[in-house]
Amino acid sequence: MNSLNDYLPIGIQLIVALGFVVTTMVATALLGPKRKSKKKDEIFECGIESTGNARVPFSIKYFLVAILFVLFDVEVIFMYPWAVNFRELGLQGFLEMLVFIAFLLAGLIYIIKKGALKWE
Amino acid sequence: MNALLVLSIAGLAALFSGFSHNKKLAVIVSLLGLAVAFTVNVLDWNTAVRYYNDMIFVDNYAIAFTGVMALTMLLIVALFVDYKESVEVPNAEIFALLFFSLAGGVMLVSYSNLLMLFLGIEILSIPLYILAGSKRHTLTSNEAAIKYFLLGAFASAFLLFGIVLIYGVTASFHIETIAAYIKNANGQPPALLVAGMFMLIGGLGFKISAAPFHFWTPDVYQGSPTIVTTFMSTVVKTAGIAAFYRLFAYAFPAITAEWIPTISVLAALTMTVGNVTAVFQSSVKRMLAYSGIAHAGYLLIAFVSISSNPASSVLYYLIAYAVSTVCAFAVLMVIQHTTGSEEVDGFKGLSKRSPFLAFITTVAFISLAGIPPTAGFFAKFYLFSGAVKAGHLWLTIIAVLNSCIAIYYYFRVITAVYSEGTDSTPVELGTVQKAVMIITAVLAVALGLFPEMIISLL
Repeated sequence: MNSLNDYLPIGIQLIVALGFVVTTMVATALLGPKRKSKKKDEIFECGIESTGNARVPFSIKYFLVAILFVLFDVEVIFMYPWAVNFRELGLQGFLEMLVFIAFLLAGLIYIIKKGALKWE
Repeated sequence: MNALLVLSIAGLAALFSGFSHNKKLAVIVSLLGLAVAFTVNVLDWNTAVRYYNDMIFVDNYAIAFTGVMALTMLLIVALFVDYKESVEVPNAEIFALLFFSLAGGVMLVSYSNLLMLFLGIEILSIPLYILAGSKRHTLTSNEAAIKYFLLGAFASAFLLFGIVLIYGVTASFHIETIAAYIKNANGQPPALLVAGMFMLIGGLGFKISAAPFHFWTPDVYQGSPTIVTTFMSTVVKTAGIAAFYRLFAYAFPAITAEWIPTISVLAALTMTVGNVTAVFQSSVKRMLAYSGIAHAGYLLIAFVSISSNPASSVLYYLIAYAVSTVCAFAVLMVIQHTTGSEEVDGFKGLSKRSPFLAFITTVAFISLAGIPPTAGFFAKFYLFSGAVKAGHLWLTIIAVLNSCIAIYYYFRVITAVYSEGTDSTPVELGTVQKAVMIITAVLAVALGLFPEMIISLL
């Protein structure tokens, strides 16, 4: 474990992984036929014709809701490993999870009182 | 450990006190929370308990530094009572963020597991990114936030990579296990472990703004609201240095030959860059940012004498530095409010406008410069004499030369204070503001007269 030689397989793996990507990309670019047309170069080849620019400023509220969603979504993920080990962790684990939820609940109450979820 | 709980709960309490109609409630809750945290923290003295499968080890070292940080933050929160600069975020939220940041700081001084080191750095930093940008409609504040965030994230990545490399070699995150592994290696540590250690130096060097990782410091310190800058340059610096020192004192004492040359060069570079650049600053806030870099350099000197346990010198230096810095920033806030500028010229004629403020400014800057009988002098004395005893004479000579440069730019402010100014309207001070200034100035002198109080602690 101590010498750098032991990391050789990882290095080889890296080179193979990179090499595969580079080789396939170069090969397809060289070998494949190139037929360009206006329709083919469009971003979406089917559906309604796109209008305007995608990069327009839109309301910050979307970001806020999205971030809050991610926050509470991740919170639930933390409960899965806890639930699996519920018996082994015993009372202490239960109390710790209660503290964790209590802190997040405080956050939820805070954002509701701040009016972060009000759309108008 | 109990202090950590109290601080987290106090942070929440401060957050919710913002919904009250009583505008003063947030300050009162915060001051109370800090006082309770400090008391609970001190009650653990001499117990040395390990918590959570040895994730946190609350020894006297941790308790001492936690106490310093809590008291410093207490002074900073007290300054908020009369704070006039527009911070466009409600005070309650600022306090909550400061509390959460301090909780991270407490983890940083009491960790015994590298994962807790990483978590501590993150918990310390993330509220700071928000605080740096809390003057939302000011461009420099936005710049400070984004700069601090991007570079901070980059430094965290370095830190984490270092931790990973060390784990890869030793199969442990625990600092004492790592130290035991190194001891068994008989002075021949694997190259990967050493590489990991240097990455940790990079990551932590960023946090304490050691050169060449200091480039974010001036812009962030200048762009942030002054009160946040005060917090960054005192509490955050204390946490960073204490974490850095703890890592090397606990995990890598057996391979000093590997890292002492690097740290000495880092120290010399940091001092020189900080002091020489500070000379050319016309803004006092920016000058204090560079002086903060320089002080980080002096503190790094302690690392070269790590075998003789200079922890109490580090503690004493950080207290002296925190006290003088809070004092200097408290004056700067008043100047900023009354003259609207943070330039050295803003201090002109202060002795006419308020002899009290002039005196406080003098004490603060004399202590920062390290002139007896203030605490700043003895702080430097203990650090430098430790380095001399450890046989690092050249480093001490550079440090002393740097102190001479520092005297020049600190005295520029003092001479401005006693020179003629155009403005002669008297300055009005709030009661709490005045009290904080008196306490810090008295401490800066008293600690200089009785250094044994702190030096005998650790």
